[in-house]
Amino acid sequence: MKSLYAIGAAILALALAGPASAEQGVTDTEIVVGCSNSFSGPLAFTGDQLTKFGLDLYFKVVNDAGGIHGRKVRTVYYDDGYKPQEAMANTKKLVEQDRVFAILASQGTSPVVATLDYLESNRVPLLFPYQGSPVTRGKKHVFSGMMLYDRQSHTMIDYLVGQRKLRSFAALYQDDEYGKAFLTSFEKDLARHKLKLLASEPVKRGVSDVSAQIAKLQAAKPEVTFLVLTPGPGAQALKERQKIGWNETLMVSSGPLTDERYLALAGGAAEGVEGLSLWPDPLSSDLPGVKQYREHMAKYFPKNEPNRYSLAGYFDAMLFAEAVKRAGKNLTRDGLATALEGIKGWESGILPPVTIGKDHETQRQGFWVRVDKGRLKPLTDWLRSE
Amino acid sequence: MTTAALIHVLVSGLATGSIYGLVGLSLVIVYNATRTVNFAQGEMFVVSTFVAWSAARAGWPLPLAFLAAVVAAAVLALVIERAIIRRSIAATHWDVLIITLGLSLILRALAGIVWSHDDFPFPSYFGNRPIAIGPARVVPVSLGIIGASVVLMALLGALFRFTRAGRAMRAVAQNQTAAWLMGISVPRVFSAAWILASVVGAVAGLLIAPVVFLSTKMGLLVINGFIAAVLGGFGSMPGVVVGGMLLGVIENLAPLYLPTGIRYSVPFILLIAILVVRPGGLAGRVHRRKV
Repeated sequence: MKSLYAIGAAILALALAGPASAEQGVTDTEIVVGCSNSFSGPLAFTGDQLTKFGLDLYFKVVNDAGGIHGRKVRTVYYDDGYKPQEAMANTKKLVEQDRVFAILASQGTSPVVATLDYLESNRVPLLFPYQGSPVTRGKKHVFSGMMLYDRQSHTMIDYLVGQRKLRSFAALYQDDEYGKAFLTSFEKDLARHKLKLLASEPVKRGVSDVSAQIAKLQAAKPEVTFLVLTPGPGAQALKERQKIGWNETLMVSSGPLTDERYLALAGGAAEGVEGLSLWPDPLSSDLPGVKQYREHMAKYFPKNEPNRYSLAGYFDAMLFAEAVKRAGKNLTRDGLATALEGIKGWESGILPPVTIGKDHETQRQGFWVRVDKGRLKPLTDWLRSE
Repeated sequence: MTTAALIHVLVSGLATGSIYGLVGLSLVIVYNATRTVNFAQGEMFVVSTFVAWSAARAGWPLPLAFLAAVVAAAVLALVIERAIIRRSIAATHWDVLIITLGLSLILRALAGIVWSHDDFPFPSYFGNRPIAIGPARVVPVSLGIIGASVVLMALLGALFRFTRAGRAMRAVAQNQTAAWLMGISVPRVFSAAWILASVVGAVAGLLIAPVVFLSTKMGLLVINGFIAAVLGGFGSMPGVVVGGMLLGVIENLAPLYLPTGIRYSVPFILLIAILVVRPGGLAGRVHRRKV
C-alpha cells in the first residue's frame, strides 16, 4: 500500500514539475488543437470535409514546412453526430484529457452553443466554430467563424429590398436554433424597411414531405421565399416547388445552405434559385488562396473533390497559423487572443481582407449567387453589411 | 388555398400514405406468421435501397439495380431469420421485439459506416414535373408511387388468397399447432414471411427514396408504418392499406388548416383517436376482455 502512495506522489510531483510557464497543449515541438464535430448524423459530410480535409490539409502544409516557431500542429477530433450532449462530453474530454490548446472549427449551432459556457468559464479559446448563431457574440474566448446569422440576414434583406426592389417575403425554416435565429433577424431587418414577413413555416428534422408547408407559403403569395434549412429538406422544398409549378416566387437560400450538396440533391429543380454565398467557388475561383488550396488538395488528398467545407477548414487553419505566428515563440492563450484581435486587413487570398476587432468576428461578408446550369454563379461582388 | 393546390397536397398525402401502407404490410406479414413485430424493417429497407444505389452507381441499368435491392432484401431477411430470430424461438415475443430493435440500431450503424449518414439523390422512373388533368396538376412521381403500391398490394392479396404458400401463411397465422398437424412446415412459413415482408419493404424503400432522398434516416418510416398497421387493426391487410393512406392524407391536410407544427404529432393523435373509438383498429375485430 505504501509503495502505491509513493508512486502516486511521484506521479503528482512529476505532473506539477512540468514546465509551469508553458500553456496547456503547447510543448516545444507541438501544438495540440481539436474539436467535437459531426462525423455521423445529418452534417457528417460537412464535418469530415471541414476537419480531415480542411484543417488537416493546411496543417500538413505547415508541418511539412517545419511547423510554426518549430512546433508542429497536431489535431484531435471526436464525433458528436450533431448531438449537443455528445458535443459537451467530447469537448470536456478534449480539454481535460487531451489537454488541447484551443477548440478549432467545431460544427453545428446546437452542439457549439452547448459547449459555450464550459469553454468560456475554463478560458479555453473556441476558434471559428462552423455555425453562425449570434449567441457567440461578446464572449471573451470565442472568435466566431461563419458570418453570424443576424449579419447574413441583414445583408440579404438589404440587398433584396435595396438593389432588387423586392417587397414581400416568406420563410421556410428549420425548427431549431439555426432556423429561429434567422427568423428573428429577418423580422428585425424587414421592420427596418417597414416590411413584414408574410408567412413562415417550420420544418422538423426527419423524413416527411413538405407539400403542406409549401402549399401554405404559396397561398401567401410572397415575391421571395427564404429557405433556412439543411441540404436534405432544402432540396425537398425545391423539388416540391417544381411539382406544383410555383414559379412566381424567388427562392433564396441562407448562407449555410448555399452549397453544392444541396444543388446536387435538388438536381434540375435548383435552377434559378439564389442565395448568399459565404465562400468563393472552390472549383473555379481564380483567387490566389483558392488556387493554392486546390494545389494542396491535389497534392495531399488527390481523391477528394474540392468543396466549400474543406475550403472553410483550410481557411480556419490558415487564420489560426497566422495568429500563432504573430503570437511569437512564447505561445499562450492570451497571446493568441491578442494576436487575433490585432489582425487588420490580412490577405488570405480566399476572403476579402480580414480585420478582427474587439467583436471577434472573422467573416463579415458574402456575395450573391444564382444557380445557373447547376453551378452557383456570382451576381455581385462581396456585399457589405453595417 | 386553390383547388389545384388542395388536390396536389391530397395526392402527395396519398403517395406517402401508400408507402406507410406498404411498410405497415411488411410489419403485418411478419406479425401474422410469427406474432412478433419486426422493428428492424425500416433499416432493412435502408440497406436494400442503398444496395440499389450502389449498383446504379456502379453502372448497372436501373431495373437490374432495383432487382439487386429486392434480392438483397430477401437474403438479408433470410439470414436474420435463420441466424438470429429462429434461435430465439423459445424467447418471449417481448424478447424478440427487443432483438429486432437492437438489430435496427446495428443495421443503421453498419449502413452509416458503409454508405455514411448523408442524403443521396436517388433515381426514379417517374418525373417530377406536373401534368395537368383538368383543373388539377398532378405529379407523375406521386401517381407512380400510388400505382406501384396498389399493384403490389393486389399481388399480395392474390398471393395470400390463391397460392399454397399464401394459404399456408394464413393457416399458420390462424393456428400454428393446427397448421403443424396439417403438415405445414411452420419454420419454412416463418422464413417465407420474413422474406416476403422484406421484399415489400424494399419496394417501399425504392419508391420513397427519390422523394425524401436516400439516407439512413429513411428507416424512421417504420414508425408511421407501424401506426398504419395499428390503425388498420394489426393483422388485417386491407385495413393496413387504408390505415396508411388515411394517415398520409390527414398528415398532409391537418397543417393546411391548423398550425404547421401539428403535422408531426398527427400520426399519434390519429392513433389515440382510433384506439379510443375503435379499439380493434379500422378493420380489426375487438376481442373483449372481461374485467
